[in-house]
Amino acid sequence: MVVTSPQNNSPFSSGRLLDEDRITKALNLASSLGATYSEIRLVSETTNTASLKDGKLERAIPGQEVGVTMRILADGAWGVHSTSDIASIVDQVESTFRLAKAVAARRAPSQTVVELAEVPIIEDEIHWKSVKDVRKTDLDQRIEMMLAIDNEAKDDERIVSTSTGWSDEHIHTELMTSEGMNRVWSFQRSLINGMVTARDGDDVVSYRMRHGGEGGLEVIEKCDLGEMGRNAKISALRLLSAERAPSGRMPLVADRDLTGVYIHEALGHPCEADLVAAGDSCLEGRLGETIGSEICTVIDDPTLRGGYGCYPIDDEGVNPRPKNLIVNGVLTEYLNHRETAHRYDLEPNGGARAQDGLHHPLVRMSNTVIQGGTHKDLDDLIEDIDFGIYACGSRGGQVDTGRGSFQFAAQEAWIIENGSLSRPVKDVSVSGMTLQILKDVDGLTRDSHLAAPGFCGKGQTVPVGDGGPLMRIKEALVG
Amino acid sequence: MIPDDAVERLLESAHAIGKACEQAGVQQWEVFATQEYGHSLEIEAGRISMASGGGEGGFGIRVVEDGRYGYAHLVDPNTAARAIRQAIGIAKLSPSIDGFELPSNQDASKVGGMKDKSILDMGPEDLLEQGDDILTKVAELDSRAVAVGGGVGVSAGAGAIVTSSGIEDGGIHTAHGVGVHVSIDEDEHLTSSYEGESSRFLLKDLTASVEKAVHWSQITRNKIPGGETQDCPVLMTSDGFSPLFSVVVPAAIKGERLARGESFWSGKMDQMVMANHLSLIDDGLMEGGMSSGSRDGEGVPSRTQTLVDSGRLSGEIWATRDAAKLVAEGKVSSAKSTGSAARGGHTSPPLCGCSDLILSSSDKTLSRDRLIEEMETGYIVHSVMGAHTANPTSGDFSVTTSTILRVEAGEIIGSLSQAGLSGNLAKALAGRVVLGESAKRKGSYSTGSMHVTDVLLMDGLRINPA
Repeated sequence: MVVTSPQNNSPFSSGRLLDEDRITKALNLASSLGATYSEIRLVSETTNTASLKDGKLERAIPGQEVGVTMRILADGAWGVHSTSDIASIVDQVESTFRLAKAVAARRAPSQTVVELAEVPIIEDEIHWKSVKDVRKTDLDQRIEMMLAIDNEAKDDERIVSTSTGWSDEHIHTELMTSEGMNRVWSFQRSLINGMVTARDGDDVVSYRMRHGGEGGLEVIEKCDLGEMGRNAKISALRLLSAERAPSGRMPLVADRDLTGVYIHEALGHPCEADLVAAGDSCLEGRLGETIGSEICTVIDDPTLRGGYGCYPIDDEGVNPRPKNLIVNGVLTEYLNHRETAHRYDLEPNGGARAQDGLHHPLVRMSNTVIQGGTHKDLDDLIEDIDFGIYACGSRGGQVDTGRGSFQFAAQEAWIIENGSLSRPVKDVSVSGMTLQILKDVDGLTRDSHLAAPGFCGKGQTVPVGDGGPLMRIKEALVG
Repeated sequence: MIPDDAVERLLESAHAIGKACEQAGVQQWEVFATQEYGHSLEIEAGRISMASGGGEGGFGIRVVEDGRYGYAHLVDPNTAARAIRQAIGIAKLSPSIDGFELPSNQDASKVGGMKDKSILDMGPEDLLEQGDDILTKVAELDSRAVAVGGGVGVSAGAGAIVTSSGIEDGGIHTAHGVGVHVSIDEDEHLTSSYEGESSRFLLKDLTASVEKAVHWSQITRNKIPGGETQDCPVLMTSDGFSPLFSVVVPAAIKGERLARGESFWSGKMDQMVMANHLSLIDDGLMEGGMSSGSRDGEGVPSRTQTLVDSGRLSGEIWATRDAAKLVAEGKVSSAKSTGSAARGGHTSPPLCGCSDLILSSSDKTLSRDRLIEEMETGYIVHSVMGAHTANPTSGDFSVTTSTILRVEAGEIIGSLSQAGLSGNLAKALAGRVVLGESAKRKGSYSTGSMHVTDVLLMDGLRINPA
């Protein structure tokens, strides 16, 4: 068996799941066959999800999932094998090596050979300890906290239903490589969310809220859940009477949630070096260029403890660090993994993330934040806007990284008229071109911090954090 | 690709877990098991960048005690005792629903076309050859074009369900899929298109997707000025329409959402909700359907049911627990499973969802050229960004497209760089609508598979050029 022992039940155990001797033999076998690099990464996830519908428990699902992925680099090409049958992984070395060779054999002479940037070879364990280990949380406690939202969200006859949800996970990862890397790390994430649906005649609207981050139960305890429920109810009822948003080009002010989604979609994705290498990024070849307003400084920081996109070690075993994507409007860094770091002769910055043990690492964002500016507050940002939109809360976004076009949608919004918020509007979406709209950011409030947690899809889904200050764009396409 | 006795092995383990449930004194239990195997390759920057293979699977256990249910999932059946204890513990905290029991065993029709032996026999080398064919075809069609992304994959999966009420079923399914993202970047002007398709059978011609991707990358290069925001007819190709449709419509036909007032069609049973020539059919028995099968995710026989009949809302979909719950709450006088329990694998309990959902018309359907003539003046939209941000509660959406053509007097005159597209899909489908020929199966942002044609929406949409 590859499994040596189950994780013990002590908080943040160092119990190993991979049999180091057998994995070492498998990696040695890959090397003896001719592989230039091989790795085996195991992820064990202990998860709990739960939801209430109208205050009653709808479902609660505990889970224990394990997956393991082997990557073999041979003749400059990758072969990969993933399985939940972790005992079988060592039997797949030869077939995975052959896969890599077969891919390499198809490469034209002009095409790039995959090589990896050198990184420190580390043998260690890092366990980020939560203040309150979320695995020790009872279902009763989870229900009680969801009810704290629910109870405040529904005392109006126009609220037709409420939903609340809970998700927590303890993630334990082990990575061994042919270079001698042997690292183990673990951490936790916790999240609570809700949705309120309101109806008035044929008009029906919904409003969603979410809170979470890296850590255990303390993450949820920090949140005023009752206020979250009350605010969601107020927003849903306000949307019921809101008119449809105007369409056209106009000044836009975004709250922290939308600023975060904007910077994630418009800038973060095109900065992912695997997309640059694929010829699918509008930022290819632009390192060192001014691509945004000089008030824009954007950092992606996996070490920002508490953010939903944190991790102690990336999924190639590299210590992550903050990445300065834009400094005063100048593109200074791509997010990279070892392959793209080598290709572009960059310092590896620990941007490799995989969805779980059954997926291989891609270049991904973590916690992406635009730094604060000089404006005092919302009033200061909107006082000289004759007509525009103040948009709040995210319903998600999407980007076409190659074209550099993006779209994101707000949960609610207000018309700005003559320097003041006038009336609520709904169904606001904003679109634009990365290389234009970054230059059109002309106002940021001083305080910058992470907003609501999110999930990012790129073939694989990973948790992310994003945020910033309130942001003003002098002209955006709305509607 | 998959062991010959994969289903038997799953059934054996499921029975063992069921036996453990009985030993734990569980009144009613259900064990759902899956095991998937596959090969895939990724295309990047005009080359095959990676080949991979593997398998995954696991077990989901649902226990029911006096109308209360609990669920847990696991990978290793040897850890079933712990999972059963967890599920029992959760059931004790769940609300008791009068009348909720696991489904009884009923005869189910076999549905053909779930597997293709030629896929089972495929290996990595076969896929690599298909990857070569894709790359060669892109180069043949346009020397400027590059396949910047995409891939090919095959999979074979075994599934099984065993319950305390005597349901025991299992089977093997296969799938073959291709996706290709083509870009043409010339004169500092980039156009691109992503196309893909999948099937339970071996796809005979992977290059059809390549031809479409190159075609749309080419025809969107003739840029014209954007013009003013206008409410106008929009012809959405099936590729452009299906993402929005899949976010908005499957949610609206769920019995629970209808009963709770969470659907824009709530309170409209037997009323006209779509144009009078349109029908909406959920077909769980479609031969070769990607979301069909003899039984649903909790073992109830699948069925074909008409949800909207000639524009009139005539049906809704239910899973067993939702139906019992809404009856117990007094939200509906009666409801029962329609064989519409969907599962997202072994980690998910059965949840209400559509299967193979078909939008059809009793009117004469038209070719794309005829639809363009019919539209006279308006836009053709082939893909949208942000479909997942559409509001399934209200039907409102506001998305962005970079694959949009302007039509005047029945002729395509050029392409916009980018535009916003907004409206309310429920209202648009209730207005003047013309469907194209030959529905194509598309993937979905929700459960199920969407079978939609090109759709000409004459009313209620707004184009906001960048």
